[in-house]
Amino acid sequence: MMFEWVHPGLLLILGAWVVFFLKGRARNLAILLLPVGALASCLSMSLGTYGKVRFLGLDLVFGRVDQLSLVFSYVFSIMAVIGVVYALHVKNTSQHVASLTYVGGALGVTFAGDFVSLLVFWELMALSSVLLVWQRHKPATISAGFRYLLVHVLGGLFLLAGIVIHVSQTGSVAFGDMGAFSGGMAWTFILLAFLINAAVPPLGAWLPDAYPEATVTGAVFMTAFTTKSAVYALIRGFAGTEILIWLGAIMAIYGVVYAVLENDARRLLAYHIISQVGYMVCGVGIGTTLALNGATAHAFAHILYKSLLFMGAGAVLEVTKLRKLSDMGGLYKTMPITLGFYMIGAFAISAVPLFSGFVSKSMVVSAAGESHMALVFLMLTLASAGTFLHTGLKLPYYMFFGKDKGLQSREPPPNMLVAMGLAATGCLLIGIFPGLLYSHLPYPVDYVPYTLQHITSTLGMLGFTALGFFLLLRHLHPETKMSLDTDWFYRKNSGSWMTIVRGPLTRLESDFIGEFYEFIIRRPVLGIGRLLHNFDIRVVDAALVALGWLTQRLSQLLRVTISGNAQHYGLLMAATILALTVMALVIST
Amino acid sequence: MTFLEKCLENPSRRNKLKQFFYLSLLLIAGSEIILPWMVGESHHHFTFEGIPAWGSIYGFISCVAIIVVSKLIGKIWLLRGEDHYDV
Repeated sequence: MMFEWVHPGLLLILGAWVVFFLKGRARNLAILLLPVGALASCLSMSLGTYGKVRFLGLDLVFGRVDQLSLVFSYVFSIMAVIGVVYALHVKNTSQHVASLTYVGGALGVTFAGDFVSLLVFWELMALSSVLLVWQRHKPATISAGFRYLLVHVLGGLFLLAGIVIHVSQTGSVAFGDMGAFSGGMAWTFILLAFLINAAVPPLGAWLPDAYPEATVTGAVFMTAFTTKSAVYALIRGFAGTEILIWLGAIMAIYGVVYAVLENDARRLLAYHIISQVGYMVCGVGIGTTLALNGATAHAFAHILYKSLLFMGAGAVLEVTKLRKLSDMGGLYKTMPITLGFYMIGAFAISAVPLFSGFVSKSMVVSAAGESHMALVFLMLTLASAGTFLHTGLKLPYYMFFGKDKGLQSREPPPNMLVAMGLAATGCLLIGIFPGLLYSHLPYPVDYVPYTLQHITSTLGMLGFTALGFFLLLRHLHPETKMSLDTDWFYRKNSGSWMTIVRGPLTRLESDFIGEFYEFIIRRPVLGIGRLLHNFDIRVVDAALVALGWLTQRLSQLLRVTISGNAQHYGLLMAATILALTVMALVIST
Repeated sequence: MTFLEKCLENPSRRNKLKQFFYLSLLLIAGSEIILPWMVGESHHHFTFEGIPAWGSIYGFISCVAIIVVSKLIGKIWLLRGEDHYDV
């Protein structure tokens, strides 16, 4: 073999640049082969540490391959294949370049064994994913993209600050469990950066703000990588951090509450990402092997079913150009295949038996049970009901059934259906054969999802949630309104902040800081400058002039000896030799 | 007309579908009470899980609570016009 180890992330990032120069079928072949190659590279890896580089005195590790990074790399590269198939019909090549780079960044984060390479790939993800938002070329999209970018730049700065403090305290850039530094500055900053990317409220408003504005195909990529790579980083660095239990449980319900109020289909699904990531964050916080396995398994299953749901909603958006539930209805007649695939995703996220969520979500909930956290257990179960209520009932009801609006629609392009089929197959495979997923989890799995009690109580919960839905259907009609989230603080208040900047802050700058600068810095500096100038003219220049004058005088004196007459030179040489001889004699005696 | 359309557009079939739904709910709640008792399998983390038909009861309570509380929060606090950020 030529290479010991091929970095699948670098393969995608560098390959993306090649894609830029290709056209037509060659381009489509390249964007398909790149993620397939990355997947093959991940599948063929054996455990170990690869890609160690010493750079500027830092020990960088690009390839930490262990059970945890492997399982995340599998699902990231599988998702890349699905996402590329879904986007195959998109003519705009720069969108493909951005999404491949984005996946490459996520794989880089997954295999990073040190903080510096982690930071580089972390920032690369933010920069490439914002392009997926901007590619939709609408005014609302531009500003949403800038807000998304600013939040992630802030997160990146937190990460950088944490890393700098951590390295200066420990002298090591290795990225591992941070439990030993709990409560310190470095720990806090790094945790904050991870929480921003995991969209933990109140730091998570960027997600429902940006994802619904992204392109149809770009949003499918975005649902998979940013939050789940943050979950990976949390598992790696912050397993067993107690605050995460509560943040996760609150997060699970937070997303559900907002989903009730939401009218925009993809925004509703975006809030359910927050809710689902809540289970993972909670699992990381509980920190037992069952909980960490559960967080990992749920991330794996979540990427497949959530992308499937976004693909379904995206297909409707692509075909009808509609994004609000209040405008939709009756699509099941013209889009039955899309509906079928969407429902598989909806059953998976709702943890219906035989679908993937049933075997992954329940691990986290059981872990809360095993650790005797009754309130957390109840909160997570309540959020499960809410998940089914919105993703499994409300959204399909108003989108595909409900009042027939007589919309012009048809099934989406075949490549979109194929991608949905792939993701749906994944959801079913994991649900029916949980061993397929369990055998790749970071710790040995001693958990049986299919017990009689688990099946009956889940069916009971789902069935009676459906009953509640149909009884309260009148009150659930989507309202043509929007709901405030924590992005209000920077969206609404940036105007008043600018008033403060333009008024008091500008005056402070010119009247106080400016004057201060004048007296403390500008004048003394000019004074010293003038002094130095005078010194230069009077002393340095004068010395040089004097030296020149002296040299000139000396050469004029010496000119006398240069007569051009050979006898004079001979006489001089003889005199010199005589003088030297005398000197030698005097010294030797 | 597809099978799905036939089921949903025809009122008598719709009613049948409704009856089937309620019947299956009864069946689920019943099985939740009877099956674990029959098999003798009980693996509870908490005592409240031992309440008969716990899943069904909590599912229904959760669903209603989520809808009522969220709508309430929305009405008094969070819901604004769609142009809230544009003005």
